[in-house]
Amino acid sequence: MEDILNRLDQKFYVQARYVQRPNLAFVTLKKNVAVQAITYLRDVEGFRHLVMISAVDYIEQNMFQLTYILHNYQLHSDIAVRVELDRENPVMDSLHHLWAAAQVYQREIKEMFGIDFPGSPRVDEPMILEGWDNIPPMRKEFDTKKYSEETYFPREGRASCDPVKIMEKKLYRVEAEVKYEIKRVVRDNRNKSADAN
Amino acid sequence: MSLKDVLSPFSAWKRTLEKPFTIKKPITEREGEDRYRGFHVNDIEKCIGCGTCEEICQNEAIDMVESYPITANKGDSGLRPQIDYGRCCWCALCVDVCPTGSLGMSNDYIWVTPNPDEWVFKPGIDEKEWKDDDKGYRRTEEAWLLDPEQEPMPVLEPEVRKNTFKEMAKGYQVTMALEEASRCLECGICIEACPTHMDIPEYIRAIRENRLEDGLKILYDTNPFSESCGRVCTARCQDVCVLGHNGEPIAIRWLKRYITDNTYEKRNEILGIGKPLPESDKKIVIIGGGPSGLTAAFYLRNYGYQITIYEKHDKLGGMLRYGIPEYRLPKEVLDREIKTILDTGVEVKYKVEVGKDVSLKELQETYDAVFISVGAQKGTEMPIEGMDTLGVLIGVDFLDRIAEGERPDLGEKVIVVGGGNTAMDVCRSSVRLGAKEVQVLYRRTEQEMPANDEEIEEAKEEGVKFEFLTSPVKISRKGDKLQVECIRMKLGEPDSSGRRRPVAIEGSNYVIEADTCVMAIGQKVDSEMAQQANIKTTRWGTFDIDPTTLQTNVKNVFAGGDCGFGPDDAIRAIADGKKAAYFINKFLTKKGEPLID
Repeated sequence: MEDILNRLDQKFYVQARYVQRPNLAFVTLKKNVAVQAITYLRDVEGFRHLVMISAVDYIEQNMFQLTYILHNYQLHSDIAVRVELDRENPVMDSLHHLWAAAQVYQREIKEMFGIDFPGSPRVDEPMILEGWDNIPPMRKEFDTKKYSEETYFPREGRASCDPVKIMEKKLYRVEAEVKYEIKRVVRDNRNKSADAN
Repeated sequence: MSLKDVLSPFSAWKRTLEKPFTIKKPITEREGEDRYRGFHVNDIEKCIGCGTCEEICQNEAIDMVESYPITANKGDSGLRPQIDYGRCCWCALCVDVCPTGSLGMSNDYIWVTPNPDEWVFKPGIDEKEWKDDDKGYRRTEEAWLLDPEQEPMPVLEPEVRKNTFKEMAKGYQVTMALEEASRCLECGICIEACPTHMDIPEYIRAIRENRLEDGLKILYDTNPFSESCGRVCTARCQDVCVLGHNGEPIAIRWLKRYITDNTYEKRNEILGIGKPLPESDKKIVIIGGGPSGLTAAFYLRNYGYQITIYEKHDKLGGMLRYGIPEYRLPKEVLDREIKTILDTGVEVKYKVEVGKDVSLKELQETYDAVFISVGAQKGTEMPIEGMDTLGVLIGVDFLDRIAEGERPDLGEKVIVVGGGNTAMDVCRSSVRLGAKEVQVLYRRTEQEMPANDEEIEEAKEEGVKFEFLTSPVKISRKGDKLQVECIRMKLGEPDSSGRRRPVAIEGSNYVIEADTCVMAIGQKVDSEMAQQANIKTTRWGTFDIDPTTLQTNVKNVFAGGDCGFGPDDAIRAIADGKKAAYFINKFLTKKGEPLID
């Protein structure tokens, strides 16, 4: 594995590498050499199978990270190629000419993260989010809860109780009344003295 | 498109004559894996309705609802989770967080009903096929999302503290307090257990958010003795803490202490004490300046009444001063806390004993209302021969003398009789006074001991020996030693308190030699003053009061604390003081109307 990575480094300059176990390594490459490097891995080093493509939104670092996992059947080894994209300009070269299956991943990533792959077939068509009218939902700034509250309605008749309130009501009604009244008096005095200052 | 692409679909035909993999109808149910996450199960006896599952559920699938036949009780809200399976995503966070470990998931996953409302149900309560399934997902120790361990309190080592009355617990540092506060789940089950119902989750949140001034204000809403309670409270809240079911409860008492330790220098300023309060021309007298009386004074001052306290000692604090040794509650701490209460403008008459120096009748007639909080300060004597022998002491009197600064010589060997917190204070004080051997005699077993476990543990660390199932029957003096004759006991049938009654074993008498013997078997109320104003008392000598309003048969006289309900802890007395303030105000403002609906 180290040899393959060294050869890869000589040709394309590996920015970062991490060998997790003898048959799995992660390498980070520059965006402009990534497709060339993947082509090299496929055609020269025997990583013929595209396992998958995934994306992560690192909003704090203002970037998207793409990961291409490639598999070599002879060596039973995987190399994961990582590419970092500027979040302001999320465009990446398409891989569909290398593996036709890539177009599905790319279409999905476009839909979920808004990362564009110009030239990839049907990349702009919705895959599962028909009629989606919001920002791509896997982006970190998408507020799932807010969206669901605005879009859907809760089941009727649902209600929940607060353990504290129910115990007040059932177990110490008078004492709870004492507590709140005393608290009110003490706080009123405190607020008045604060206002007087 | 190549020729292969065209032909390959037809390769499926080669299986035409093979046995199919599909399952015949009616579908035979296949059992899920042993750790499959299917429909929930809930052990409703274990569940205490804390609502943590509801809190963690990201899909808002869980509601806490009242669930017949479960009802609210000490340490149990009586609520049980109800799950909306239209929202549940089977993530099992609710199971992984459950503090009691009651919630789990069965491996049952096949169930269907056409009625959408049936998809909302209460696991463990509603009858379902999988209700008692053992298989399925349960949380494991590694997956538990909570931290079961309490942040340890730094204390003086046993060898050091044995020789000094210096405070034993040193108090939390900031990182410790944050660590401990972050364990709190804010379920609020503890609030009910506290006699004065302090807003525990609220002040713990204040610690976590580093708003200690707010924290102090929250404490004083319900308890003007927070600094003392932060040290010596019996912490009934911790007994019901939800984390205590599978680990150690939150150190609520130490967190409270942390707030006061870090704010006491600016306390009056933070609480606005010393600033003008509403003024009423009504006058109230409080008899006895212990935790109950002073709490009543504090809150009644907030209502605007003019308060006079009659105190028979030359200092205030009652049992907090005279019953609790310095190593648990330094006098300096108590003094500054009492000062805060007096700074609201309270008049105190020291060294006046109501009933002797001034009559209760006179006070009852001169003042608009009276609150009696004289406590239970008389130690109970054992009805055995030789109680008046030289070297036999009464527990509360002994502690009283130590509080006054005396350091009596107890000799080499001290015997302490009793199993309550007073007995623990006595035996641990004896160690500090230099006794070489201290032995506690208790007539039941360790399990029945009313003293706090922590106190028992610490006494053992300090070298105190315990002897259970034994009771003295006779004390005499031989030369310069006491001869304490004891008899062995065994446990019989449970009595009215639910504890098993100790029964003497005939002929098992034996003698222990000692230099001093301290009786710490209980306290009594001195309610002699009651008859001066025709106030009824009970057969235990406590004032006969309405347990809700604390009012006696004489309308403007109220009583509470130990003298109202019998000997108990400080927090109970504080709660009574607060309650008295409320009902006395109600009595004075709504003349003639009943105090409760």
